[in-house]
Amino acid sequence: MNAPEMESSSAIGPESAADLERLVERKLVLWYYFAALTYLIVSMLGGLLMALQLIQCNELQGIELLSPGRWRMLHTNAIAYGFLANAFLGTLHWAIPRLTMRPVLSKPLSYLIFAAWQIVVVSTAVGILLGQAQAVEWGETPVWIDPVALLGLLLVAVNFMAPIAGAKGPMYVSLWYFMAAFVWTFLTYAMGNFIPQYVVCGTNAGAIAGLFIHDLVGLFVTPLGWGLMYYFVPILLKKPIWSHGLSLVGFWGLAFFYPLQGIHHFLYTPIPMFLQYGAVISTIAVEFVVATVIVNFFGTLYGSGRAVVTNLPIRWFYTGMILYFVTCFQCALQVTLTFQQLIHFTDWVVGHAHLVMFGVFSQWLLGIMTYLIPRLTGKEWYSRTLCEWHYWLSATSIVVMFLDLTMAGLFQGWSWSSMQYWDHSTQVSQPFWIVRVFAGLAMFSGQIVFIYNIYRTLSGPRTAPATGLQPATA
Amino acid sequence: MPAPNRRKNRVWTVVTVLFFLGPAMFGFGTKFYELVQVFRGDASGAFAVTPIVNYLLAGCGFLLLFGWAAKNGMFRDIEQPKFLMLENENRLDAVERSAAPHA
Ligand code: HEM
Repeated sequence: MNAPEMESSSAIGPESAADLERLVERKLVLWYYFAALTYLIVSMLGGLLMALQLIQCNELQGIELLSPGRWRMLHTNAIAYGFLANAFLGTLHWAIPRLTMRPVLSKPLSYLIFAAWQIVVVSTAVGILLGQAQAVEWGETPVWIDPVALLGLLLVAVNFMAPIAGAKGPMYVSLWYFMAAFVWTFLTYAMGNFIPQYVVCGTNAGAIAGLFIHDLVGLFVTPLGWGLMYYFVPILLKKPIWSHGLSLVGFWGLAFFYPLQGIHHFLYTPIPMFLQYGAVISTIAVEFVVATVIVNFFGTLYGSGRAVVTNLPIRWFYTGMILYFVTCFQCALQVTLTFQQLIHFTDWVVGHAHLVMFGVFSQWLLGIMTYLIPRLTGKEWYSRTLCEWHYWLSATSIVVMFLDLTMAGLFQGWSWSSMQYWDHSTQVSQPFWIVRVFAGLAMFSGQIVFIYNIYRTLSGPRTAPATGLQPATA
Repeated sequence: MPAPNRRKNRVWTVVTVLFFLGPAMFGFGTKFYELVQVFRGDASGAFAVTPIVNYLLAGCGFLLLFGWAAKNGMFRDIEQPKFLMLENENRLDAVERSAAPHA
């Protein structure tokens, strides 16, 4: 088809408020956000409990149901499947219909998926607390939930792919990312939860499990996160992305190079060296891809830099992007064998995990919520000051936690490599672990402030049209 | 675009593609050969096959999708979607504004 012949997706679209209502199911987006924030709080409580355990301050000692090992799994699972998945699903219910000008396949199906997903998350939490966790990191969802979760992911893909498939003409980059994420997440979940459980064992299963953890971040969270940034940043800055061509380079680069990287989590293992080197090389390739994405977003910001100060959602987004760059810079170091000798198994990795999961993706989602909640409810924020507190508490605490854990990791690595006894490394870690508790408390308070602000906003009267054109947060 | 320019562009595209793909294919071929050797020589090396096969499947899928997208003109007017997206958003906002109770 020639470009001029292409029918653009703007050829159709809502003409009235009723059409608009049919396009986006606003109530559902809000429900997803409430669920996401509930799990965020549960997860953070788990993280705090685990952090207290590490400084020997665990008042729940001896209660099997609340043992730290279980809380740790609850912490990570509630974040991944409770907070991130719910927040992403809610936001997709806003972004995809607006990008394609078509509603999702079926609204009742959307509600069914919402209910089913909450059942999956709650059952996972209960299963983990009862000691039924599956022995796959990040796939601890008890085995009996796996098929239900997989079915849920399939339904999600079908529900969202319908409007994407219906859109005509060249696709906007966000839709490429979303489409890929639906396929990847389904396949990644199936691979990680079923193959090591039923098909392969030993080192083989270890390699697959590693690929799973890695792909879950790179092929579920990353494409959804960047896809949403490509949507929200231009509409908030009111100008198109700097280069759509470059954004597609980023997408296809991720598609071809990312899936081979998983083995970089297994440097120095019995996996053949040529595979380890392959993973190192493709990681370097992805670093180039990341550079194109970052350049594109800063190119877009060029000339509108003040927005970072005045527009709170934009500030959340760009803070996340800077931290994304830091994460990838860390990856460039981590992927070398020399560096691995020092930091493998240390808190450096935990710092890295928090930086990417909270510093980047959660901050993007919290920024999106800051922008969308007034639009969804028709009510401006109860307090802009509380919005600012939310931002500053979150952003500063994650930077402190990250620097703290990175330092802890280096000290632990040096302690181990100098052949000190094990307890030495845990003693060395104590000051860092204490700082982590305080950083965690600050991060937790930030979210409580946000929830309080939402509560006051919802209980207030409807305000002037909160269409996001002049948001209080702008 | 005038014909000589178009031909020059095509030549450059082919040269660039060969420049990158040539060494990459050579690298891939030799590594794949090593993989087959590992697999043949050592039964435990078989586990290396799983991630590779996984990657090849995903890679082939994306290669097909890429071919399909190129054939269907997805990359022809490559900057157009970014303008359309903003246009759509403005139209939706205008409808929302006109429908808002206090507008
Ligand atoms: C109240 C704030 C938080 C505290 C105190 C906290 C604390 C912890 C602790 C103690 C661990 C276990 C580390 C270990 O095993 O040595 C952990 C792991 C983890 N946390 Fe948090 N956390 C918090 C918030 C978050 C948030 C908001 C996210 C994501 C959005 C997150 C993501 C993770 C991840 C991915 C891991 C696994 C790290 C790994 O295995 O390498 N945490 N956290």
